Amino acid sequence: MQNLTPVFALVAREVKRFQKIWLDTVVSPIMSMILFLAVFGVVSGGRDVAGIPYLAFVYMGLLTMTMVNASFSNPAFALVIAKNVGTFMDLQITPVPPWGVGLAYAFAASIRGIITLLIALLATVWFIPISGVANPLLLIVSVVLIGVAFGMLGVIFGMYAKNFEALTFVMTFIIQPMIFLAGTFYSIKQLPGIWPTVSLFNPMHHAVNLVRYSVTGYADSAPMVSLAVMAVFAVAIFIPMQWITTRNLKAS
Amino acid sequence: MDALSVSHVSKTYRQKKKGAVPLQALDDVSLTVKPGEIHGLLGPNGAGKSTLISLIAGIIRADQGKIEVFGVDVEKETEKAKVLEGIVPQEGVYEMAFTVREVLYYFSGMYGVPIAERNPRIDKALEDLALSDKADERARGLSGGMKRRLMIAKALIHKPKLLILDEPTAGVDVALRQKIWELVRRLRDEGTTILFTTHYLEEAEQLCDRITLINHGRIIKEGNLKEIQKEFSKNVISFELFDRNVPHLPNVTPEGSEFHYPMKELEADMQAIASHYNGNLKSVRSEAASLEQIFLTLTKD
Ligand SMILES: Nc1ncnc2c1ncn2[C@@H]1O[C@H](COP(=O)(O)OP(=O)(O)OP(=O)(O)O)[C@@H](O)[C@H]1O
Ligand SMILES: [Mg+2]
Repeated sequence: MQNLTPVFALVAREVKRFQKIWLDTVVSPIMSMILFLAVFGVVSGGRDVAGIPYLAFVYMGLLTMTMVNASFSNPAFALVIAKNVGTFMDLQITPVPPWGVGLAYAFAASIRGIITLLIALLATVWFIPISGVANPLLLIVSVVLIGVAFGMLGVIFGMYAKNFEALTFVMTFIIQPMIFLAGTFYSIKQLPGIWPTVSLFNPMHHAVNLVRYSVTGYADSAPMVSLAVMAVFAVAIFIPMQWITTRNLKAS
Repeated sequence: MDALSVSHVSKTYRQKKKGAVPLQALDDVSLTVKPGEIHGLLGPNGAGKSTLISLIAGIIRADQGKIEVFGVDVEKETEKAKVLEGIVPQEGVYEMAFTVREVLYYFSGMYGVPIAERNPRIDKALEDLALSDKADERARGLSGGMKRRLMIAKALIHKPKLLILDEPTAGVDVALRQKIWELVRRLRDEGTTILFTTHYLEEAEQLCDRITLINHGRIIKEGNLKEIQKEFSKNVISFELFDRNVPHLPNVTPEGSEFHYPMKELEADMQAIASHYNGNLKSVRSEAASLEQIFLTLTKD
């Protein structure tokens, strides 16, 4: 049995790191939630999507988006900062194995994602026409899975990027389109042609779908399929994460 | 078993720019550090010292060769080897948000130190490095010398068997330098093996049991400091007399106002001269080569 102390210590360190920037963790997601909700609230004018109030529908998308953003950007930025200030070397000289480095950052990321989600929820749920959570257990499983999976994606880009420009590029051209083409703000059933099918290949769609289904009971596509996709996504993404982490920790 | 064994290690940095010639930083380097010694790795800027340390630390990969720390292969059993090593890098590493205590707390954890043991060890390390009153300050706000001490504390916190310091006294004031020497000596006495680099040759003379000289990525000299000095000394004892016209020892030759006597064994020869000339002896000296002279002779291109 391998000694896991180094990995847990790294998780604890990364959790501590974002605790130090409470304001970032709390204020910016709440701000963007409120702004989005205000806009959508006005625009929707009380319409329904697929039988549930539009505000409730889009709210689930916004919560997921907030969480995914937090889970992704936490490790990505932490790693790029570490490279720029030199603390990346801490990861290289200590005996934390590459898989441990990757997973530690991903777990810390999921913790940040979940905390952000809860805070955003507490701050805004009072204005939303939602009555209870349809499937709490599935919600918990989904949220952890989503946090870790997008955390690992964040680790990959954090390892890959040398500077903030590269990260911003990734956020703008990969993460944002993933979010906007996921059925976050609309039902993918409303899309024309092949787009509903294309959306099924977007992990973000399944993330949103899972959270929305767990809370409201409404799903765009089969929730168990989404759960399976998220699980496969999480497992599959471990491989490139392991590869790029190993390469970065020990340069050739 | 050697504390560190580097055998036939080469390292070429691939250049990012297209068409640039790849840079061979180390060329067939071999050296050993014996348990319990203080070993100095000396060489001019760009000689390859930090590259060698990065290889030993497992931060970069060698093109060829083998490195073992207390018999553990750095390439094959990386994590196991890393636990045995404590590294003080040449470049400062600054934690953005953490306090001194937090830096040490998580860093020791990453070395596998159990939670219960961390705080006692941190207190001890902070005391050793005179940082106790800074424990709860932000690491980023420390002065340069304090940051250096924090780096040393980081390297010591998991009680490594081999401590590697890359220019630990660069840009450090006289008092702190003395403190670091003291600490290094004490660690050695407690059984830690130490490998360090420095550009202050008198520091190496003070501290080292053995040294390795490296230049252009090649080892040009390795051995016991005293023996190397002997090898490079002018093998002659010079002395002056009040009265020059006396019977001389065999092999004594006049040389200006002085006399020269070929040296075999410094102390015995000195004694022989002293007892032969006795009160007639005005002055006597022997030039042991300073490390600086040796260094300059050997690194002359
Ligand atoms: N990451 C790198 N990429 C490319 N070349 C490098 C890299 N690091 C070092 N070098 C080159 O390798 C050679 C050896 O550098 P190294 O840092 O090991 O020297 P050093 O002996 O530590 O010098 P100093 O006394 O100045 O610290 C130098 O020519 C340097 O330019
Ligand atoms: Mg150097």
